[in-house]
Order: sequence, then C-alpha cells, then structure tokens
Amino acid sequence: MSIITNDRIKCDKAISVLKYVLDPEIGLNVIDLGLIYHINFDETNGNKIYILMTLTVPYCPMSESITSDIKSVLENTFTNSTVIVELTFDPPWSSEFISKEGNYFLNQ
Amino acid sequence: MLIEGNTNFLVKKTTYKVVLPFYMYAALSFLTATIFLFFFSSSFVQHYFHPHILAITHIMALGWGTMIILGASHQLVPVFIEGKLYSIKLAYFSFVLAAVGIPLLVYGFYSYNMGWPAKWGGRIIFLAIFSYLVNLSVSFIKSRKVNVHACFILTAACWLFITITFGLVLVYNHSISILSLKSLEYIPLHAHTGIIGWFLLLIIGVGSRLIPMFLISKYTNTTLLWIIYAMINGSLLTFIIFFWYSIEIVFYIIPVLSILSSLILFAYYCYCSFKQRVRKQLDEQMKVSLLSVIMMLLPLILLLALIWMMILDTFDSQLFLAYGFIIFFGWITAIIFGMTFKTLPFIVWLKVYHMLVGRVRPPSPRVLFNGNVYNVMGIFYLTGFALFIIGLFMKSIYFLKPGSLFLIVAALLYNWNVIKVLLHKPVLS
Repeated sequence: MSIITNDRIKCDKAISVLKYVLDPEIGLNVIDLGLIYHINFDETNGNKIYILMTLTVPYCPMSESITSDIKSVLENTFTNSTVIVELTFDPPWSSEFISKEGNYFLNQ
Repeated sequence: MLIEGNTNFLVKKTTYKVVLPFYMYAALSFLTATIFLFFFSSSFVQHYFHPHILAITHIMALGWGTMIILGASHQLVPVFIEGKLYSIKLAYFSFVLAAVGIPLLVYGFYSYNMGWPAKWGGRIIFLAIFSYLVNLSVSFIKSRKVNVHACFILTAACWLFITITFGLVLVYNHSISILSLKSLEYIPLHAHTGIIGWFLLLIIGVGSRLIPMFLISKYTNTTLLWIIYAMINGSLLTFIIFFWYSIEIVFYIIPVLSILSSLILFAYYCYCSFKQRVRKQLDEQMKVSLLSVIMMLLPLILLLALIWMMILDTFDSQLFLAYGFIIFFGWITAIIFGMTFKTLPFIVWLKVYHMLVGRVRPPSPRVLFNGNVYNVMGIFYLTGFALFIIGLFMKSIYFLKPGSLFLIVAALLYNWNVIKVLLHKPVLS
C-alpha cells in the first residue's frame, strides 16, 4: 500500500526510520505491515508532521506502544518537529496492506 | 508521552497491578491441585463424591480456571468492549475476596465441614463474583458497543454468578433443608452451569476473537458465532429444565448433541481462521491453544457414553471421574497453558517497557519466558495427563501416582516460567 504524502523526499526519510518501529506481537515493522496511510509535513505551522495510521484491530493492546514509538523516532529524526499521530479505521486494516517483504517475513 | 490527534482507538489499558495477582494466584492453585492429586490419588478409585475430589475440583475450577480467566478478562475487557473497565477498585475487591474465599471453601470440602469454612468461603466467593459481574456489566453499559464477543463474556459472567449462587445454596442445603433433595443430587446441575455456562461460553467468546487476531487471519463470521452462542445457551437452558422436571434420561441426549454441534461449529470457525491466516508460522502457545479446541470434544464423547450407560441403568464411577478430569486437567488446563504465555508476557512487557518505548529498542515480549522450559512442561503435562487417565480407567494407583507426579513437574515448570515473566527486568539495547 503506497503512503500518501506532500513531500516525497522527507517521506522516504520518515519511512526509513519507521521501519524500526515494530508491532511487538507480530515482530514486523509498521511500514511493511501497511499501518501508515499518510505522512504529511507542515513547515508553516511550527514544523509539524502529521501521521494518519491504522491498527491491525481497533483497541489493539499494543496501540499506545506503537504510536509512542512512531512519535519518538520521528521527533529524533526531524529535530524541532512536532509529530501528531491520528488513528483511523477508514479504511480498516487488511492483510492485503502487508508489503511483499512483510509477507515473506510472515511466511518464513 | 501524549499523542495528539484522534486517539479514540487507543486501548484504555487496565493496570497490570490488578491483573498480575490473579495470574500468580492461579499458578499456585494449579500447583496445589497437582500436589493434592499426588497425595490423594487413592481417592480416585472411590466414589466421585469424595471430600478430596471435591476439594481438588474446586481448586481447579475456582483457584485455577476462574482466577486466571478473571485476571485475563479484566485486562481484555477494554479490547472486547472498545471502552474501559468501569472500576479498578472493584477488580481489586474481587481478587481479595476470591483469594480469601477459595481456600476456606476448599478446606470445607477437604475436611467435609459444611459449617463455617464452607459457608464463609461460599459467601465471600459469592461477593467476589457479584463484584466482578457489576464491574463487567457497568463497563459494557458505559461502552454502548454491542458485539458478539462481548455478549459471550457478559453472558458467561451471568452463568458464573448463577453457578456460585447455586453452589452456596447447596452448601446451606446440608444443614437447612432448602431444596427437596440432598445436595449430592444437584451436583450435575451445579457443575454444568459452571462448565458450559461459564467456562465454555467464555472460552469460545474470547477464543473467537483472540485466535484470528494472533494468527492474523482474514476470516470473520459473526453469524456463525451468534448461532454458536444461541446453541450453547439454548442447550444449557434445556438441560436445566429437563433436570428440574426430572425428564427421562434419554432426552438429555438433545442438549448434549446440541452442545456437540456447537463445538464442531467452533472447531470449523478455528479451522477457517487457521486456513486463512497470514502468519504461517505458529508458536508453541498457539499450537497448545488449538489443541485444546480438539480437547473440548473429548468430554462430550464421554458424556454421551455416560448417558448411554445411565439409560442401560449401569453406573461407572470411573467414567464420571474421567469426564471431570478431562474437563479440568485436559481442556481448561491446555487452553490456559496456551493463553497464559500469549497474554502474560505482553502485560509485563507493557509494564516494564511502557516508559522506555521510543527511547530504546525493547526485546520481543516472547523472550520474557523460556521457550525450552515451556516445551518440557508440555511433554510432562501430556505424559502425566495420559498416565492419570489410564490410571482412572484401570483403577490403578501405579498409573495414578506417576501421572500426578508428572503433572506436579508440569505445574512447577509453569510456575517457574510465570515467575520468570513477572520478575522480568528491562533489557536495553
């Protein structure tokens, strides 16, 4: 699933660090799991990064850990930025969102 | 760390402080039950209404099965109702009361003293379960989200409350004539409201949500789950009516076949989840959990044999004992073995690494327990279980003793792993 963004270069940098954020139960990162829908950058309003993402299930017990981890790695990479994480279930997560690498990992 | 934006879908976790004591208490209860099994093996070649057997049954049903389910359900309720647990204080209250009441009741059975130990034990457990039911009901009402899994859990809690209340009536019936018959005559009713209404309904409700979640399965079938829900409750109500009005034994086949059908449907649900799973590799805990689904069918086959024997007017006490043993030491224990190490490491992981997430790379929750010890525990458990069953059918102490010894080792290894998880200290890299 491709991530929608308003800045492709910064988005690629964000994706590279978000690959270190794992779902602790599954052991797969949030990018390959297809949890991230949008990564948008707003430099005009105090350097904000908006993340629109989903979870594998609503009220996933690991939700707080995953969202905190995302916020932390992005704020470490994009210093002086504020990260705003928003959760959505529209569309709900589906296993079709898992990348080829993710499927390979899960099939091992 | 605050997350801005839409956080409506963030789970409102129940504090680990209230959940972990339930797990520890259950683990110690299981060890106690296996030790009792070893020392009182000879009771298992006598009538099933034996004080030692009643004591072991109640340690298993209340101290082991119910306590761990209460702990896990306090943790999982927010996931199921998509809201938060109403009261942490009530959860603590339930734990303290149950923790005090269970040993008293067990002592009452052990010494066959239906006076103050059994009465006070029963009263205190009644209050514990009443608190749990109130906590759960208010949580559900406040969440205003109706889903099939939540209905399974709430209905199961209502059946538990009915079972406990009726159990207390049976204790009183020993000294005051409340019911028309002796308490012994009502044991099938008391046992099956607990086994079918509480354990079966709850395990199916929780399992139908967790099994696809852990397998990352694409399969969903809410209609099938509602059918299973209706069949189980319908069968139990039919059984209660038949029992109360002393309907001929042959008609009992109707609710038993209905339960059997619902179990086959649930096994089919699990099979479909398994077939459509994205995660191909299964860990040992999931294998044990799926094995317990098959183990659900064993007691029902025995129950059909029991009904058949009663129709023929023959009675085999060993078959009754094997039936109860397979339920508590087979099916319920297997599912607890599987699910403890799918849930407990995550609860402890969140406790230990919650404040460190994002700053350090925490280890995977599955490394919090020792996988090798878990596998050895599984071998001891299955061997002990098989030996004890053989001993029951052969009425042989030479199989019962070694069988219970294997089960003690399995219980010790289980406790070792639980303590290892509970005492986990942060490993940072």
